[in-house]
Amino acid sequence: MRGKLAAYLGRLVRRNRIRADGGEVNATRDSGLVSDEFTSSLPYWLPPFVVMGLAVYGAILWNFFLSLTDSSGFGAPDYANLDFEMYARAFADPVFIGALRNTFALLVAFTVLCLVVGLVVAVLVDQGIRYENTFRTIYLLPMALSFVVTAQFWLWMYNQQNGLVNIILGVVGLGPYEWIGNPSLVLGAVVFALIWQFSGYAMVVYLAGLRAIPTEQFEAARVDGATTLRMYWRVIIPQLKGATISASVVLMVFALKAFDFLYSLTGSYYPPKGSDILATMMVRQAFVANNRAYAAAIGIMLFALALVVVAPYLLYQYRAGEL
Amino acid sequence: MTDTNTSSGRSWRSTALYAVLVLLVVFYLLPLWTGLMTSIKADVLATAPFLPPAPAGFTNIHWTRAINALAGGLVNSLILAIPATILSALLGSMAAYGLTTLDWRHQVPILMLFIAGIFIPYQAVLIPLSKFWASVVPVSDLVGYVGLAGWVGDLIGLILSHVAYGIPICTLLFRTYYKDFNGEMIEAARIDGATTHTIYRRIILPLSVPMFAVTLIYQFTQVWNDLLFALVLVGPGAGAPVTVPLSQLGASLSEVGFGIRMAGAFVAALPTIIVYVLFGDQFAEGVST
Amino acid sequence: MARLELDDITKHFDDDGETIVAVDDASIDIDDGEFLVLVGPSGCGKSTTLRMIAGLETITEGELRIGGRRVNEAKPRDRDIAMVFQSYALYPHMTVRENMSFGLEESTDLSEAEITERVESATDTMGISDLLDRKPSELSGGQQQRVALGRAIVREPEVFLMDEPLSNLDAKLRAQMRTELQRLQEDLDTTTVYVTHDQTEAMTMGDRIAILNDGILQQVATPLEAYHAPANQFVAGFIGEPSMNFFDVDLEGDSVVGDGLDYPVSDDVRAKLDTDALVLGIRPQDIELVDAVESGHDVAVTVDVVEPMGDENNVYLTFSDTAGNETFIANVDGRTLVDEGDDIVARIPEEAVHFFDRRSGEALRNREFDGDADVDLSL
Repeated sequence: MRGKLAAYLGRLVRRNRIRADGGEVNATRDSGLVSDEFTSSLPYWLPPFVVMGLAVYGAILWNFFLSLTDSSGFGAPDYANLDFEMYARAFADPVFIGALRNTFALLVAFTVLCLVVGLVVAVLVDQGIRYENTFRTIYLLPMALSFVVTAQFWLWMYNQQNGLVNIILGVVGLGPYEWIGNPSLVLGAVVFALIWQFSGYAMVVYLAGLRAIPTEQFEAARVDGATTLRMYWRVIIPQLKGATISASVVLMVFALKAFDFLYSLTGSYYPPKGSDILATMMVRQAFVANNRAYAAAIGIMLFALALVVVAPYLLYQYRAGEL
Repeated sequence: MTDTNTSSGRSWRSTALYAVLVLLVVFYLLPLWTGLMTSIKADVLATAPFLPPAPAGFTNIHWTRAINALAGGLVNSLILAIPATILSALLGSMAAYGLTTLDWRHQVPILMLFIAGIFIPYQAVLIPLSKFWASVVPVSDLVGYVGLAGWVGDLIGLILSHVAYGIPICTLLFRTYYKDFNGEMIEAARIDGATTHTIYRRIILPLSVPMFAVTLIYQFTQVWNDLLFALVLVGPGAGAPVTVPLSQLGASLSEVGFGIRMAGAFVAALPTIIVYVLFGDQFAEGVST
Repeated sequence: MARLELDDITKHFDDDGETIVAVDDASIDIDDGEFLVLVGPSGCGKSTTLRMIAGLETITEGELRIGGRRVNEAKPRDRDIAMVFQSYALYPHMTVRENMSFGLEESTDLSEAEITERVESATDTMGISDLLDRKPSELSGGQQQRVALGRAIVREPEVFLMDEPLSNLDAKLRAQMRTELQRLQEDLDTTTVYVTHDQTEAMTMGDRIAILNDGILQQVATPLEAYHAPANQFVAGFIGEPSMNFFDVDLEGDSVVGDGLDYPVSDDVRAKLDTDALVLGIRPQDIELVDAVESGHDVAVTVDVVEPMGDENNVYLTFSDTAGNETFIANVDGRTLVDEGDDIVARIPEEAVHFFDRRSGEALRNREFDGDADVDLSL
């Protein structure tokens, strides 16, 4: 697998170097210039690489070893005695299982719905409308806001007494509901708020994808007699695979980081009942309960979750020559 | 089918299209509008939340209180976000230059490590990070030797953390940009006698100005908006960036507190909203890369 | 000014541990002040060769000398060369003046006043003095091209290297720049290596042309030599428009015989054919169309397609007495009136016929040239 990947990346490097006149053989450079170019490139990428490498990979490694200890309370962790006890503990812990379930539910519901809303809005914006820039800017605005800010707005929107959501539902005779206080409603409410914040992002990505499709294809489909709906369904949407993949990866990563939003709903490490996810549980275990090793194990599992999503994506991007 | 039919069909469709687009504008702006109206009402429960206050019900008390409560945080956030943003953009541009324009074997795996760094959930590095600044390099103690308060040290640690974790995304943004540079232009410079260093200084950096705008704006927003690092590395107190006090604002006051909460949300979001309104296109470019 | 010598230059690329030979053992001596054109199809190694001279690629084997000095290991900046790129490669954020001063600032100790003077004199030569303060994005393609040339001449290098510099211009401008470049090179008398895939440029511009195929140098010769006395079948087919017609033939007694062709050869010619498996080559321009068969060198043919070009016609012909529909081309005067389907006669004069060894492709007999005996084929 590793050899294959290396060979693949090697091919990729060379493909990028094929010259304008088409067939010129231009494979990797051999020794002389390589070492020269390598040496002179060091001052540029090595310092950022060391800083980033220590901060990201060094810390993950440290965290991993910490997760193998039994460290809790204020004592120094004992690195001599390593085992996977904390991982076993997690899967026996109903709080962890609940948080894991909520994490998945949030991840899937948020990502899928965000993509759907983003795609629909992108198609609408792509109809050659006037003031396109203004519409686009407005739709993307929530994304520029902090989770902390949007949490405040939605707390008020979901308020039981005078929240706008309940007022609107009241018009059709529903509610009022206790959106944040009701454990069976809160996750849905959170997902809805997050869709409000990030569907604009999905729209921007889809819009770029739509713009990359040559106009001739829209015209050809029309000449072939396809209706607008069928044209999108059969000709355009299949070509948005790349946009879908990159948008969903970024959205999933946002969802994994939803800690800030949930924290701000209550202003504490205890999110509303029914909305605890791994991200909030980890921080709580680490900095409230002082179960460092346990928290580290949850952090590593979150990392593994991100890896499962991101690794295939990076590979896909390489294959498409995007990176 | 006659021409009139088609054109009336078209105009009906176009009307429907714009109606939907405007409804979407309402959807995306309503929480903000509601918040704005609530922030200037004396009694937030008096009328429907999206209605402006009656002339007698108008107040600026929520805004005054929010500004008072958040002023320190705003200053801290500026001290935090500006250097962190500039440093990560600069380091990202350097890394991208060394890994893109300068072309050598095996740079792709290195680049992959950079890019994977974008997607790391911070929970996976949070404990080591806080331990690092607490015991390995205890900045809050170190600044004591030069007569500064501990929270200044915390803030420095927070700045450097944001720099480190901002490098991957900045590298990717610049990488995408540099990849499209004309390779022959760099070769021409080399034949013209330029060294690696002068190529960076005299060709790459001047040509990077638009990408610096994109990266700075995107990264500024990210750092400004962060809560998790701020909470863990600085916590509430003198050095806290604005997101920390905002998350606590009015929480003890239940419904009555929403006036100050909404005003606070706007106060804290103002810099990012201004940046967004002025440079929305660059922000869009940053997120879509 | 300097002599440029390529001595057994070889370039290997490493492809997944597999070695690809991009340039194989190429030797060319380019005289001081000479204009040498490197020509060949895509992927033949001509750009790689040029980039090795520039120092943008390493040389795997062999020696490269500029003015007698070995420069294999020298950086581009230490080779005293200037290069013009296909994309012009101007610095987009700099004005024309800054573009042209950049190289002098980076590679010389000239004072600011001297740089200004040299830049202005170079822009005078190129006729772009009024563009000095513009940026490349404000210039037309032709103007950018002139700036790119100006950026090279301002350096006053020993050697100019040009990588398809005219290929981004439209046809009319290209013809005009071709003449101008030639005149410029004659005035400056700087050794120049010019890479192109366009054989018109090769034929009209070069003092000599070097033809490359598959990384192997096929022939270095004056344009006329390459046209009339190609070293092998590849050169014969590559130089000349439309391409030379080739027929696979076998030597049988006094004739060469192929599909639809039975062509008598004289003793003089036959003496040169040291193998039986041959390829007969005839340039379209050398075929005459006549009404009746008068000798063994006349062949009955049918007109397949006529391409009128105005001053000349390309007439696609097939042999009348074979079932095959393989066509060959005759290039005749534009006023010759033939129609599709006409049965006529093609005259293939023996003095214009080339013979190649079918296996090695080597030229065994070239057409008579300058009225003299055959041209010496040695490189």
